[in-house]
Amino acid sequence: MTDPAARRLAILGSVTGALLAAAVLGAFLVAPEDADQGVIQRIFYFHVSIALVSLIAFAVSFVSGILYLRRRDQKYDEITVVSVGLGLMFSGLVVITGSIWAKASWGTWWVWEDPRLVTYLIVILLYAAFFMLRSSAEGERSARYSAIFAVVAFAAVPLSFYSVRVASSFVHPVVIDTAGSKVPGSMMVWFLVSLAGMIGLFFTLLQLELMQRRADRSLRDLKVRLERAAERRLSRAV
Amino acid sequence: MSLTWRQLRALLRKDLRIELRTRETIAAMLLFAVVAMLIFQFAVAQRSAEVTLLAGGFAWATIALTAVLGVGRTWVPEREQRVIDGLLVAPVPRLVFLVARTVVLVVYLTAVELVVMPLAVVFFAPDTGLSDLGLVLVSGLVANVGIALVGAFLASMSVFSRARELLLPVLFLPVIVPNVIAAAGAAYAVLGPAPDVADYRGYCLFLGVYAVTFGLVAYAIYDYVLDD
Repeated sequence: MTDPAARRLAILGSVTGALLAAAVLGAFLVAPEDADQGVIQRIFYFHVSIALVSLIAFAVSFVSGILYLRRRDQKYDEITVVSVGLGLMFSGLVVITGSIWAKASWGTWWVWEDPRLVTYLIVILLYAAFFMLRSSAEGERSARYSAIFAVVAFAAVPLSFYSVRVASSFVHPVVIDTAGSKVPGSMMVWFLVSLAGMIGLFFTLLQLELMQRRADRSLRDLKVRLERAAERRLSRAV
Repeated sequence: MSLTWRQLRALLRKDLRIELRTRETIAAMLLFAVVAMLIFQFAVAQRSAEVTLLAGGFAWATIALTAVLGVGRTWVPEREQRVIDGLLVAPVPRLVFLVARTVVLVVYLTAVELVVMPLAVVFFAPDTGLSDLGLVLVSGLVANVGIALVGAFLASMSVFSRARELLLPVLFLPVIVPNVIAAAGAAYAVLGPAPDVADYRGYCLFLGVYAVTFGLVAYAIYDYVLDD
């Protein structure tokens, strides 16, 4: 393996795999059981970290969107698209894990009074429109509009959170608020391991997808060059 | 009078004069809003005893959906009459276009609100006093600024895109959801069973923050939208 990017990806993937394995073992076998919620509380080690990583993904798309608008470099457009896609995937997982917790805690898969679950639904709808916009424009305009919408959508994310949060019904337990963490240290350790694993997973998938896109572009360029060479050889032969 | 102000005034006069002559957009929006409120009245209100709680929600669902019509018409006359290229090469700052479109949409939405809110009171909350209706209208005015700003911004992007009519609602509605939630919350804080002035103020503040946030975003990046 001589490609430095591939080597970096392999190292990142290995560290991520180890962290995720440690998080699963720690969350299910080592961390103490919550006295109030019981075993279902263990899903929070993943639910909360996935939620934070989805926000990191959208933040990356916001930054790369701004960088694309300033520099018009295709690299930033690719980072924006891949980050939004991964952010959507993580947001979907937030809704699924949140629903599992809701079913275990309240006996129902969906609670409209839970502001964060509802917010993630809004965020999914918001970013799903990103791909529709991207496919409806062409060439440079497609990349430019994608970057602009990544910026607009990211501005809407905290507003969505806040708007739903100010709703009077508030049933979602607040694990970390402005006063600090309410989680004991023995649980916090495994939450942080899970968070690190999820962040690693995001950057591994981002890097992998970007490498695939670059390889795809190189292959297309190579195909065009080979076709041109074949045409030249044919015209000389004629 | 500064050049920017003269440009803005010229664009506003153009848009409002076209609308006054044709009355296409505002008539369609008002008609749609009244029909939507009637649908809510027939479909839900006649089957529930607690509709007062839902008055603000029905009104804002109607206004949000009606806004799609107004936003969808933005830039359409210019495109149909092929004026858009002339406008874009004119030495007018891009932001002036956005401000003009936003002001026109605020006018449309305010007209809709002046019809929808009294209807909401008559249909769903008949015991509401005039002062309470006034409070709901004030919060609605603040909400209209945010909706119009986002609508004008996204309409500028969709004007050069394929399937514009399909694309715009899909882009626009999720972005205005926080604004609609807060506007409906402000209406509930006034019309609901336990009126709460602190809640009302909080929601109005949020509506202001929403408008300012998207105003700043538009200020920072709107030039890139029409960068053709």
